[in-house]
Amino acid sequence: MEKFVAYRCKVCGQLMSVKHDRCIKCKATADQFEEFELPKTGSLVTYTKLYALPEGIEMPPLALGVVDFGGVRVLGQLVTDDPKVGMKLKPVWGKLRMLRGKEIFGFKFEPAS
Amino acid sequence: MDILAEASMRAIKDAKAEKKDFDAVYVANMFAGETMKQTAVASSLADRISLFPAAAERLENGPAAGGSALKNAYLAVASGAYDLVLVAGGEKMTTADTDVVTDLVATMTHPTAEYIHGVTLPAMGGMLTRLYMERYGLTERHLAMVAVKNHANAAKNPYAHIQRTCTIEGAMNSGMIADPLRLYYVCPISDGSAAVVLCSMEKAKEFTSKPVRIAGFGHATDIQAIQEREDPAVLKSVQLASKQAFKRAGMTPKDIDVAELHDAFEILEIVESEDIGFFEKGKAHLAVEKGATSLTGEIPINTSGGLKARGHAVGATGMAQVVELVWQLRGECGERQVKDAKRALACNFGGFGNNTVIHIFERGW
Repeated sequence: MEKFVAYRCKVCGQLMSVKHDRCIKCKATADQFEEFELPKTGSLVTYTKLYALPEGIEMPPLALGVVDFGGVRVLGQLVTDDPKVGMKLKPVWGKLRMLRGKEIFGFKFEPAS
Repeated sequence: MDILAEASMRAIKDAKAEKKDFDAVYVANMFAGETMKQTAVASSLADRISLFPAAAERLENGPAAGGSALKNAYLAVASGAYDLVLVAGGEKMTTADTDVVTDLVATMTHPTAEYIHGVTLPAMGGMLTRLYMERYGLTERHLAMVAVKNHANAAKNPYAHIQRTCTIEGAMNSGMIADPLRLYYVCPISDGSAAVVLCSMEKAKEFTSKPVRIAGFGHATDIQAIQEREDPAVLKSVQLASKQAFKRAGMTPKDIDVAELHDAFEILEIVESEDIGFFEKGKAHLAVEKGATSLTGEIPINTSGGLKARGHAVGATGMAQVVELVWQLRGECGERQVKDAKRALACNFGGFGNNTVIHIFERGW
């Protein structure tokens, strides 16, 4: 089971959804970060429905959005035809797309209820 | 190479520098290796227009390559290392299919936090637009107003890619690309080139009675993934780069008479005009309603037609902005001339606003 995690800088408390080698706020090195599990649900901050599709995604539209999980924002695909700002979403692990002949997996987000 | 050489030769001719020896040439280009199967384009340009033995290098900085090339050339001249420099930007994009080009551009997004999810630059534009709609009351009609203005300007620009006007209704009925962004709120895929000749102000008087001075530049980066930025609705690198540029130039936003902004998506013209300081945050769309950014408004923006209609030949874009502003300051823009333009600003950015180069120009006479 893949874990849905983010990073906390133990020096300044900054939260990061993306892996950096130094803290985006205080520049402390990554050996001073701790990994933590994000909350089970988040809320949709913004989204788009993409009709001009990138390689390896078959059916338009592709819904993409930024989801806030307790102060950590994560970007990903939305598994819903009717996204709305503020809606509650939960992460699910699955295939994202084909890219240069390979299957790419990651977390995407589906309605929580 | 044909279009890079053409713009370069025109710039050299315009500067009456045909018989001069250039110390260096800086070439802005994003992906000739992929679309033209040609790398090291700067060496090739030096050969094509016989600039050798001038130092030649290509600058790749995403769609901010043009601004970056000019900035590096400026630093080289200002340091005293070089006396006479050519700066050119060029990109040939229509040789590749639309999905290939869109993917090439998308490769500048964050590899794991954005790109693999299927994020493209129009997707970023769509998400920023929706944030603005939710937070500041921006409507689709405002985007259409920006598009109509930029198309009207491009119709007066013989160098523009799309020299056609459009209507609000036409724009609002165009195909959806990245909801809420329709075709008319997104830049086209263009071929293009632009070039300038750079030297010290003192030396410039040998060439022309109307030299344009670089009054200041600013250049800043920001966190790459939009979701990690403190506020995804703020283009912090635009704010920081313009602050630097205004400080170096000893000016404020109120001093600027005309500006070229990086409107790869019409939302970006609105957001940049706020983050540069022309308008209060969240209020630029209201200024657009009043015509403040039109040719006769208080701060005309994208007189060339902008990326939207002049076109967005990625590596050339920053230099195309510069050339338009030089023509504006020299009063050579014909029907799209801003009356008595004395000071101008260019905002060129790479990524989705995470690498911004700003230049401020003024009349040097």
